[in-house]
Amino acid sequence: MAEWNAYYRNEDDEEEQEEGEQSGGDYKITGRDSLVFLVDASKEMFIKGEDGQPSNFDMTMQVVRSVYASKIISSHRDLMALVFYGTEQSKDPSKSFKHVYVYHDLDEPGAKRVQEVDALRGGKGAQLAAETMGSGETSLGDALWCCANLYSDIKLRLSHKRLMIFTCRDKPHEGDSVKDRQARTKSGDLKETGVIIDLMHLMKPDGFDVAPFFRDIISPPEDESELGLQLEPCDKLEDLQKRVRAKEQKKRAQARLHLCLGEGINVAVGIYATAVTARKPAPIRLYRETNEPVRSKTRTFHTQTGSLLLPSEIKKSQVYGKKQIVMEKDEVDAIKKFEDPGMFLIGFKPMERLKRHHHIRPAAFIYPEEDEVKGSACLFSALLTKCHERNVFALCRCVSRRNYPPRFVALVPQKEEVDEGKLPLQFLPLYLAFLSLKENSRGHCSCPTASQRQVDKMKEIVSKLRFKYRSDAFENPVIQQQYRNLEALALDMMAPEDTEDLIMPKVDQMDQRLGPLVQEFKDLVYPADYNPEGKPAAKRKTADTGGGAEKKPKVEVPEDELRAHVQNGTLGKLTVPVLKEACKKFGVHTTGTKKQELIDALVDQLGQ
Amino acid sequence: MAGAKSASVLCMDVGFSMSNSAPGEEPPFELAKKVIQKFVQRQVFAETKDELALVLFGTDSTKNSLDQDGQYQNITVHRNLMIPDFELLEEIEHQVHPESHQADWLDALVVCMDLLQTETKGKKCDRLNISLLTDLNTRASSEQIDVIIENLKQAGITLQFFLPFPVEDDEESGRDADRGSPGHPGMGKGLSEEQKSSVDIVKHIMLNLDEENGLDEIYSFRNAIEQLCMFKRIERRPMAWPCQLTIGSCLPIRIVGYKAVTEEKLKKSWTTVDAQSNKKDDVKRETVYCLDDDNETEVEKDDTIQGFRYGSDIVPFSKVDQEQMKYKHDGKCFAVLGFAKQHTVRRHQFMGTQVIKVFSGKDDEHAGVALSALIRALDELNMVAIVRYAYDRRSNPQVGAAFPCIKKDHECLIYVQLPFMEDLRQFTFPSLENNKKFTPSDTQLSAVDSLIDSMMLLEEDDNGDQKDMFKVHHIPNPAFQRHFQCLHHRAVSPSTPLPPMEPWLKAALECPDVIAERCQGPLEEVKRKFPLTEVEKKKKLKTSAQIFGKDSGEPDAKMAKGDEEEDYNLADIAEGSVTSVGSVDPARDFRTLIKKKSLPFGEVCQQLTRRLEQLLSNKNTAYFMKSITCIQAFREQSVKLGDANLYNGYLQSLKTSIPNRGLEVFWDLLVQDAVTLISKDEVKGSTVSKTDADQFLVTEEKKKEAAAPPAEDTGDVDDLLDMM
Repeated sequence: MAEWNAYYRNEDDEEEQEEGEQSGGDYKITGRDSLVFLVDASKEMFIKGEDGQPSNFDMTMQVVRSVYASKIISSHRDLMALVFYGTEQSKDPSKSFKHVYVYHDLDEPGAKRVQEVDALRGGKGAQLAAETMGSGETSLGDALWCCANLYSDIKLRLSHKRLMIFTCRDKPHEGDSVKDRQARTKSGDLKETGVIIDLMHLMKPDGFDVAPFFRDIISPPEDESELGLQLEPCDKLEDLQKRVRAKEQKKRAQARLHLCLGEGINVAVGIYATAVTARKPAPIRLYRETNEPVRSKTRTFHTQTGSLLLPSEIKKSQVYGKKQIVMEKDEVDAIKKFEDPGMFLIGFKPMERLKRHHHIRPAAFIYPEEDEVKGSACLFSALLTKCHERNVFALCRCVSRRNYPPRFVALVPQKEEVDEGKLPLQFLPLYLAFLSLKENSRGHCSCPTASQRQVDKMKEIVSKLRFKYRSDAFENPVIQQQYRNLEALALDMMAPEDTEDLIMPKVDQMDQRLGPLVQEFKDLVYPADYNPEGKPAAKRKTADTGGGAEKKPKVEVPEDELRAHVQNGTLGKLTVPVLKEACKKFGVHTTGTKKQELIDALVDQLGQ
Repeated sequence: MAGAKSASVLCMDVGFSMSNSAPGEEPPFELAKKVIQKFVQRQVFAETKDELALVLFGTDSTKNSLDQDGQYQNITVHRNLMIPDFELLEEIEHQVHPESHQADWLDALVVCMDLLQTETKGKKCDRLNISLLTDLNTRASSEQIDVIIENLKQAGITLQFFLPFPVEDDEESGRDADRGSPGHPGMGKGLSEEQKSSVDIVKHIMLNLDEENGLDEIYSFRNAIEQLCMFKRIERRPMAWPCQLTIGSCLPIRIVGYKAVTEEKLKKSWTTVDAQSNKKDDVKRETVYCLDDDNETEVEKDDTIQGFRYGSDIVPFSKVDQEQMKYKHDGKCFAVLGFAKQHTVRRHQFMGTQVIKVFSGKDDEHAGVALSALIRALDELNMVAIVRYAYDRRSNPQVGAAFPCIKKDHECLIYVQLPFMEDLRQFTFPSLENNKKFTPSDTQLSAVDSLIDSMMLLEEDDNGDQKDMFKVHHIPNPAFQRHFQCLHHRAVSPSTPLPPMEPWLKAALECPDVIAERCQGPLEEVKRKFPLTEVEKKKKLKTSAQIFGKDSGEPDAKMAKGDEEEDYNLADIAEGSVTSVGSVDPARDFRTLIKKKSLPFGEVCQQLTRRLEQLLSNKNTAYFMKSITCIQAFREQSVKLGDANLYNGYLQSLKTSIPNRGLEVFWDLLVQDAVTLISKDEVKGSTVSKTDADQFLVTEEKKKEAAAPPAEDTGDVDDLLDMM
């Protein structure tokens, strides 16, 4: 078991590194993202849909809530604001706008805010909204102005500014040209300061026409093709959610590199990760008395003299074959350096050469960066088209960052596809699959094969349990539980909200669907006296139950034998418990639990 | 897992003939020594438990256990069987020299066999091996050869020969040409009589031990060095993970999982040591906690508790509570959630860092049949199983896909982790296909086409078999190779700087020579067809915070005139194309436009005043500051161009509107900065005298009538200005 465990522990260490590799990037340099929800609070928004469909307002609040919650999980340092317009009451920090209600100004979302948005959901929410804000005159110009003030009041550096307008009215000012013009001017100002304005238009009975008014308000799309698809209003919550999700995150390149086809042919590309393992947040230390966060400082000092050690007074070392090998810190870094970052084309291979099991880390996408090297998009596009047409992938050597050793990557062509929702093209160009450098093919055994009858029965079972896989269908129960717990504590709730474990098989439903098939299959493959649930052999039992409950046999090695091992350098033969016992016996204090650490400690002690 | 280790003897000829070599060639001795060094290095860094002994023959002295009655002379057991270490490497480096005697290599072989047999007694070794490095230049007495072969077979000892020259199947070495260069180095003037007869004996032994592949175990020094260059990867054995695959509640299948592919990590990490003593214990790291106040008050670790961020909130949440409330599950599991079409699970969705192969439970025929049925059913239907996978109780459960995999000799499921909703980032990219700007022309496409042709790494040979010229998974991880190369260098020559990368490693990472040559033409073509120009880095767009911050804080009144020229140029570069007075930095836009002279002065002024009105309608100090900058720019440009009327006119009308619009605060600011009318002294055409100009700011009574636009609403102002 040791090895599997070791693997899992390693994974943690490695995660840190990977984290750096995957998320790092521009984030620190460019500052924070910000997102303002500007929501229409006119009467029209509160009209309930047919057959109990939620009102547009309700739908919007649900989306806002889910974005809040997901931001807390994924990027809590982003700033968010919620502003209503067309309200009766007014509330804004400068107190100079009428009919604009700043519900939340730009700040990091927290538990309280989530709760406050929750309060606006459903029938009760509509009532609350009517009481606190009411519906009144509309001046989108004022609302946008107010949002501009929100942005300008922020003293932090903002990297990405987005404003989403949720409305179901295509003519908010009912033809008042003065107000229209004012709104246009204001939106122009906002756009000039780098704010991207999106319209999340919602369904209304006679259709939503973007053209007369809103086309001038929103930011021009990234390319022309996007426009056509986006003009459809959302009428379903999922669509809206999807559309908001797609816009809410700034796509941020992990790295920008040159894809070098040959001497002097450099295509600028950005690398984008579309799936990065989300983790439980790291704990922070708080001062017991005040619950304020404390900062930690780590210093390195000399054990004997107690003086602080400068980096130059420290070296790095490893022990191999009983010999200590020492290097400067710079040298340790230098060893890792092969060449400057970049992707270097080696050649092409047919797609079937890329095996499914050649996978050692999640894929990323690359997309040309026309702003860096003009002409990149065209060559990239040609490469993509041809690779796809000929069903080949490009093999490259890739150094993703400075002082990173090279890896081989496969650039796999992927055609553009239209998502089934009303999303604009979800374009997935070449992706990088990190190939393992050395495959560890491990153990395989020859096993009996099933007869066609047995296979056919299984096919029936498989067909019965078919479903459509969607990658966003499964929530991580571990992370969800953690956040529910935190939410409960933050809001002084009695108990955390229940989380549904979506990756638990729905056994009852499955059994019901399968009906007698299971028994039929079992009759075909298992003999009557066979118990598939039985443990393979009694002796394995201890290993299966894991846990530390059962007593461990006391293991000891005589002293002289141990010394002999030390002398011959064969300590490695002994097991970890034996080594631990030996450490205890000789009074060797070690903090390590890894085998090598134990061995090192023993050698230190006994070798003298 | 009982350790399955091996024991091997390196048996090297150090006799005088080993130092002979053709001019310009390395003597066989040096090559053999290199082979040994590389081999031992590999063992040391691989940290195997395999044991190694070193026997030298042709030595001046004799030291072995069979030394009796003048038999087995000039053979020295240099080191007995034990785990190799750096000491051994150093001994090889410094103590193994060419010596001046010769010894029978068959005698040496016998010594090695004896050593292996006596020293492995009572040890569990699954493999015994003798590697003989010699030039075979001694006469060997072949009388006992059959006894030797018999003994080797009985003891299960395998043999490897390393010779200075290659040995072929055929007597004629004419086929050499196929394999390598015609005159293989080491052949010298051809083989001596002794060598020829010895080669026959070697062949005889090897073919007797293994009829089929016996000769494959005869290597030339050169080949061996190349192969041994790669540091062996650290040994790992597959670890079984027994579990049950479940479909619903009552269909379990016993399975066992093995990790199939994962990224290898180095086992050892660097420890920090003191630079002087090189001791780990001399260095201590300590973490202290301090409050975030001015004094950085330190607090004890015991006085801190654990907390988490929930958005902007900080929630104290102790470890105990966390443990109590965390997500718990039943442990080990491989449960099918359902089945989906294979094409819906896309390669780019694969998560995690490993691939697991799932076989049926050991020695369980029935489970084998059941799993086989599942694998085949999935394969025939083109489906995958979506499963919940949990390694054990302590680890987090995953969702993943199990693909069917049917090979000639085995079938299994291949499990790969899939993403959770939280892991996904929805990015959309603008389409490349539908963008006319980026659509490549037909000639461009055909250039890429021929590039692909020339760079295909897969070639068909004469037999129609495909040959892969660049097998990625046969290349050892270059990072490890380099790592061990440097470690080794530092260990044997501590005071010298690190060596450059080994040439073979560099070459292994490059495109194969054939391809590199072949693609030159097509690459040139691509270069011609696709113009690529590096874009000079533009200044990044400023954030609003920066802009507002700067504008309000700037001491505008002191703007030195001398600096203006430069200012403009910078502004020009930064802004690129200013076509109208924008709202972000109207003053700068205004200056730029006037300088460019693309629009008439009056028009630009009108744009500026329009912006000014907009700014002023928002009664906010930041906007006031900006407005003042605008007025200052207006004034300064007017003076420069000698046209004071527009400016004076605007300022006067502004003044009259102050009381109505409640802009007294703004006016005060204007007074403070002494922004007044342009007088005759400054511009000849002005109708205002110096004293009038000075007076202008002083008389700020509210006596003026509302002659100027009674602007209440910005909308109205816009209209009025539009009519101008």
